[in-house]
Amino acid sequence: MRAWIEKQRYIIDFTISSLLRRKVKNFGLLALYTLIVFILASTMFFTYAIKKEASLILKSAPEIVVQKIVAGRHDLFPVNYIETIKNIRGVAAVESRLWGYYYDSLVSANYTLLTPPSNAGSADSVKSSATTTAVESASGDPQSTDASKPLFELNGAVLEPGTLIIGNGIARLRHIGKGDYMPFLTFDGKVMNLKIAGTLSSQSELVSSDLMLITEDDYRKLFGIDNSHVTDLTVVVNNPSEVAMVASKIKKRLPDARPIIRDEILRTYDSIFNWRGGMMIVIFSAAVLAFVIFAWDKASGLSAGERREIGILKAVGWETSDVIQMKFWEGAMISLAAFFTGVILAYIHVFFTGSIVFEPALKGWSNLYPHFELTPFVNLEQLTTLFFLTVVPYTVATIVPIWKAATIDPDSAMRFTGE
Amino acid sequence: MIELVNVKKVYNAGNPSEFSALNSVNLHIAGNRVTVLKGPSGSGKTTLLSIVGCMSRPSAGRVKLNGREITSLPERFLTDIRRKTFGFIFQQPNLIKGITVLDNVMLPAYPLGEKRSHLKIKAMKGLSELNIANKAASKVEWLSGGEAQRASIVRALINDPHIIIADEPTAHLDTKLSYRFMEIIEKFKSEGKTVIITSHDPLVYESSIVDSVVNLRDGQIEGEQA
Ligand SMILES: Nc1ncnc2c1ncn2[C@@H]1O[C@H](COP(=O)(O)OP(=O)(O)O)[C@@H](O)[C@H]1O
Ligand SMILES: [Mg+2]
Repeated sequence: MRAWIEKQRYIIDFTISSLLRRKVKNFGLLALYTLIVFILASTMFFTYAIKKEASLILKSAPEIVVQKIVAGRHDLFPVNYIETIKNIRGVAAVESRLWGYYYDSLVSANYTLLTPPSNAGSADSVKSSATTTAVESASGDPQSTDASKPLFELNGAVLEPGTLIIGNGIARLRHIGKGDYMPFLTFDGKVMNLKIAGTLSSQSELVSSDLMLITEDDYRKLFGIDNSHVTDLTVVVNNPSEVAMVASKIKKRLPDARPIIRDEILRTYDSIFNWRGGMMIVIFSAAVLAFVIFAWDKASGLSAGERREIGILKAVGWETSDVIQMKFWEGAMISLAAFFTGVILAYIHVFFTGSIVFEPALKGWSNLYPHFELTPFVNLEQLTTLFFLTVVPYTVATIVPIWKAATIDPDSAMRFTGE
Repeated sequence: MIELVNVKKVYNAGNPSEFSALNSVNLHIAGNRVTVLKGPSGSGKTTLLSIVGCMSRPSAGRVKLNGREITSLPERFLTDIRRKTFGFIFQQPNLIKGITVLDNVMLPAYPLGEKRSHLKIKAMKGLSELNIANKAASKVEWLSGGEAQRASIVRALINDPHIIIADEPTAHLDTKLSYRFMEIIEKFKSEGKTVIITSHDPLVYESSIVDSVVNLRDGQIEGEQA
């Protein structure tokens, strides 16, 4: 056993010196290999991060959102509808929401303006509304502890009339922060200056990136909405199996109301994420293909120098199996080095630089493209898959030409002429 | 010590290029002696030497080492016998470029998994015996022809073999270095080792250290001389 370990050490040392001897070739190889692992791992991390974001949204989404529809178009929701909905059996709570999009021509971006639920401005109420939703989604969900966290946190900022709280994406885009003023153009053409009371931090930047929280009064002043209207309603249902039933009752009692259940919202998100995921799969398969070609190329031959060296090793007493072990270590070292470098670079890329390489492809959908810095999450299963997709085939590919090496007779060393 | 019975070697058997390099060679090589295989180029010296040294198998006939039949042993055993029994000095030094002289010299010992500190001491001792200890850390491409050959001799000796095999060792050496080489051979003999050399260099086969000369021609032995 001791001798075996010592032997492996010798072989590894020799392999390292062999690799260093062919520096240019092997570093080129390593760089290409690392690049491929980098692309594969980035794709995996990115798809996973975006799915994780989606699941966060899922947990916090209200079960039913009710809008008012006029001629098929989303319209302001009359407050007096609320009582009708509250009286439907199975409805636990109804909450009105005031929110909308605001186009900022200065930076050509759409913001989402939102008034914090009910008793405005208190971080507590945001928390409690998120918790309410979590209770329903907790059934049979192993990750329900996550759900008890609020979707976003106000970082201790207090929302008062004349102030607003902005998401990180907006802060980045406009280079503004706490204490700065932000001008808005109201519905009747006046300028309204709001002071930034703080920024939002969130588990999900996807949600909060383009978000702005303002008080109900300011919202109504900005958009010119009277007290008898809100944007829409959220409905909390006690029993998840009654959601569809409640939705159909709302539709029956209020024909111009449109209840949207969470599953429908999810489907919308899903299609967005799947489209993105699909694009990633294209990148992914291209990288896999490149890898296969590259591994195959590597497997297909031994250089004259390598043949000569194997001949010498065999002549001085190495067995074919010793040569195979050497080749194994060679493949293992190159692929492990490439694997770890590639994975670490991909991790930094996706979680610290906001997928800067993929950004051009992803940015199209919003100027406020969120950075996914906040949820660095490594999925062991994916890493294992990646490992088996790269390290294993490559190592095998380096051992393959050995069946050729085995045919190099030791006496070939006696026939080498010249250098 | 080594006995060859009716040994034949056919290259590319069955092909149009089939070539019979050895025809029924019977030979006995004594232990603790210096034997020279002499003959013109193409007479089958290298072929015979590689069969004697367990580097290749004969197409027919038997090879016995210390009375033990080794022709039919599987590769693993043959390799094991080869690296423990034989030390090879090739016509070319056949050193591996890019690594140091010391690493080259230790190569044959790697598969045996000997402790590194011991191995290093042994290698350094070998190098200093042939006066190239000062080149231990040099890369092999910086060596002169004579130094490279001495390095390859140290490598041949690293596993302390009983039998030393040298294929035309003086072919690339000048007269002075050739004499130097024969002195090294003499030392081996005095240490009780068996030496087998192929050569068509008179400086080798006429040397007083040589105990017997075997004449090869067209793959056959012409007759033994004292
Ligand atoms: N691998 C081989 N394939 C075919 N012919 C070979 C091979 N090796 C040697 N020969 C032939 O066998 C003959 C004897 O070769 P060799 O033993 O090298 O002779 P020597 O060492 O005496 O010059 C030569 O004619 C050579 O061309
Ligand atoms: Mg020859």
